[in-house]
Amino acid sequence: MTTESKVLTDDYLGRARELLRQIESGNEEEAGKLLDELTKLRENSLFQELGRLTREFHEALNAFRFDSRIAAALTETDFPDARERLKYVITMTAQSADRTLTAVEESMPLCDEMEADTLELKGQWERFTRRELTADEFRILVPRLEAYFGRVSEDIPKLRGNLQEVLMAQDFQDLTGQIIRRVINLVDDVEENLVELIRISGQNLLPKEKSEKPESAPSGIEASGPPVPGVDTGTVSGQDEVDDLLSSLGF
Amino acid sequence: MDKNIKILIVDDFSTMRRIIKNLLRELGFNNTAEADDGTSALPMLQAGGFQLLVTDWNMPGMTGIDLLKAVRADPKLARLPVLMVTAEQKKEQIIEAAKAGVNGYIVKPFTAQTLKEKIDKIFERIEAAQ
Repeated sequence: MTTESKVLTDDYLGRARELLRQIESGNEEEAGKLLDELTKLRENSLFQELGRLTREFHEALNAFRFDSRIAAALTETDFPDARERLKYVITMTAQSADRTLTAVEESMPLCDEMEADTLELKGQWERFTRRELTADEFRILVPRLEAYFGRVSEDIPKLRGNLQEVLMAQDFQDLTGQIIRRVINLVDDVEENLVELIRISGQNLLPKEKSEKPESAPSGIEASGPPVPGVDTGTVSGQDEVDDLLSSLGF
Repeated sequence: MDKNIKILIVDDFSTMRRIIKNLLRELGFNNTAEADDGTSALPMLQAGGFQLLVTDWNMPGMTGIDLLKAVRADPKLARLPVLMVTAEQKKEQIIEAAKAGVNGYIVKPFTAQTLKEKIDKIFERIEAAQ
């Protein structure tokens, strides 16, 4: 029992005994006064308890602020960075979708044209093999076949190029995936800190269990993911600069 | 250049592995295998038969730079050509990879042409050294 609560208990006891005496001797007015005093005493101790809780909470918050990333994350760099990273993800996915759609839009007419030409020439060719074609018609067919072979041998590399464009446009999934993972890590950190905050303010309502994150083996240099324009610095601007850097190292 | 060489593609994103695999196929390399990080790649390499390693850097488990170091530290694998294809483009990272003995370094996003050039260059050098 603390000194404070001992004093309180003595206060209560004294007044309670006095109250009993006054009631037994039929002194209603005095008994009423004592009851009021007791109620007031009870209120006072409630206020004191509330004050203590408030003070503890305030101190906990202050202590928390020192070693927490929340304040920094919310206000300084991490959240604005995360926002820029996510915006960059939107840009990259939009670019990839555009590249893919453009390649498809270019390829479709080529397919349509090739299909129409092939069907038309196939009909003519079948007539030729059935010996239904007149000499004049055959003379027209030959240059058309030549033109057709010319077109197809040009269109097929175009189609292959477009398919490769579609293939390469899928690289966004890797790059945006890496960026989104970083943002998820930030959200995890903030969540962990918020849970800690609730634990502190909730007077140990939550069990203190820190989920141990698997640390990747350190290699001396950290992977930092795809550079995001306007957020990451110290990166090279592209393959040419990589080549220059490596050749300066004797590569 | 021998187009039948066996190539191991290591990337944690299956889309990127497929992109690289398809590009290699376009270049005439059909003999490829895949792994999703260094931890699964290393035993495959140690089992033998690979003549080129194409690896990402940033992967959970064992990263590409650690895989490169492990390859160089293994007497049986030390001379295996390693091409890094990664989004990591900090200067100190490129220097780190060079120090660790990388044979080529491609930054994502890359083009089919870049991949071809770097592979050609790796094998030109190997042939010139022989």
